[in-house]
Amino acid sequence: MTTDITVPADLWEGETEGVITAWLVNDGAEVAQGDLVAEVMVEKAQYEIEAPVSGRLSITKEEDEVVSKGTLIATLQA
Amino acid sequence: MTTATKSASRKLTTARAMAEATAQEMRIDPRVFVMGEDVGPLGGVFGNTRGLFDEFGAERVRDTPISETAFIGAAVGAASDGMRPIVELMFVDFFGVCMDAIYNLMAKNTYFSGGKVPVPMVLMTSTGGGYSDAGQHSQCLYGTFAHLPGMKVVVPSNAFDAKGLMTAAIRDDNPVVFMYHKALQGMGWLGTEKGATVAVPEEAYTVEIGKAAVTREGQDLTLVSLGAGVHHCLRAAQALEEEGFSAEVIDLRSLVPLDRDTVRESVAKTGRLIVVDEDYHSYGVSGEIIASVAEHPGCRLRAAPKRVAYPDIPIPFAPTMEQWALPNADKIVAAFHQMLTDN
Repeated sequence: MTTDITVPADLWEGETEGVITAWLVNDGAEVAQGDLVAEVMVEKAQYEIEAPVSGRLSITKEEDEVVSKGTLIATLQA
Repeated sequence: MTTATKSASRKLTTARAMAEATAQEMRIDPRVFVMGEDVGPLGGVFGNTRGLFDEFGAERVRDTPISETAFIGAAVGAASDGMRPIVELMFVDFFGVCMDAIYNLMAKNTYFSGGKVPVPMVLMTSTGGGYSDAGQHSQCLYGTFAHLPGMKVVVPSNAFDAKGLMTAAIRDDNPVVFMYHKALQGMGWLGTEKGATVAVPEEAYTVEIGKAAVTREGQDLTLVSLGAGVHHCLRAAQALEEEGFSAEVIDLRSLVPLDRDTVRESVAKTGRLIVVDEDYHSYGVSGEIIASVAEHPGCRLRAAPKRVAYPDIPIPFAPTMEQWALPNADKIVAAFHQMLTDN
């Protein structure tokens, strides 16, 4: 089963765009539910994105790419 | 609280690695505490104290007024009295207002007391530019601090070394200046060097202060650098490989003590030396490394050494002017080509 990792709608206030500053897990690695996988920066504040479920990570938005709330940034293959 | 994945491939930014090392030492040693501007609820403007305030509270993670002389002086007093403070000078460029506390107190009290009053503290401070923060927020000043006896000085180039060097610095009974380059922190607005975010073990470990690392092995040329410069060297080495030359890259990691032996051994093998330093060209790390090689009786250089360093000018604000002045891989490759031509 494939689960999307999207930028949560409540991660920061307002509709400002953000940038992925770091992937903290390699593409293709196995992660557990709740693991910190990426950081997103919005106007010099950093926000954390966790894995919603366990699975193999497949990154679709690379570091330095611009993201908005709801943007698909990776998938997890259980 | 700094949470991170349990996965074997877990990577950390340098900022997180510094915070994790600090948190792990604070958990086992009640003498360790942190002081500085915006190190508390904000987590440090460069992210390196993130999570500490939530875990340890305002008593051990203390936001200070903008008064570097006062809080660095207070840290020297606390360290002399048995505590192990970590203080942050937010930008190394601000050293001018607190150098007496750093250099006449922190660095010298152990000597002045005949060794009876150790000063086990860490002064962490950000270095480097590249993101148009102008001449009073972009300097490296490695040579300035490494020049002054009485303090150890470390400069990590990646998250693994940052964690190990921070743990070693906190446990060290001497004052240690921990200089971290902003582009390596993993904070987007400072310019992000992707190669600095690497796999980092969860358990505490130390990287020995005073040991350089051979980051890439080679036969034709030795590139010596530190901090962000190591990543320029690795890109240059990759470009030179495509031309058929093999470059060795040495990451100094520590300026005091300086691992001259590792540099000399490499140059003895390659016969060619280029030093890459984002600090100013004159009177700095690059000159010291070249002198350390040249003055050694075993020195056998095949070409005159070169340096790719910051020009002796105030750091420009305008992006095109700043980027012109900074070291980069193209300049390193060009220096090597010039070296071959000169010969």
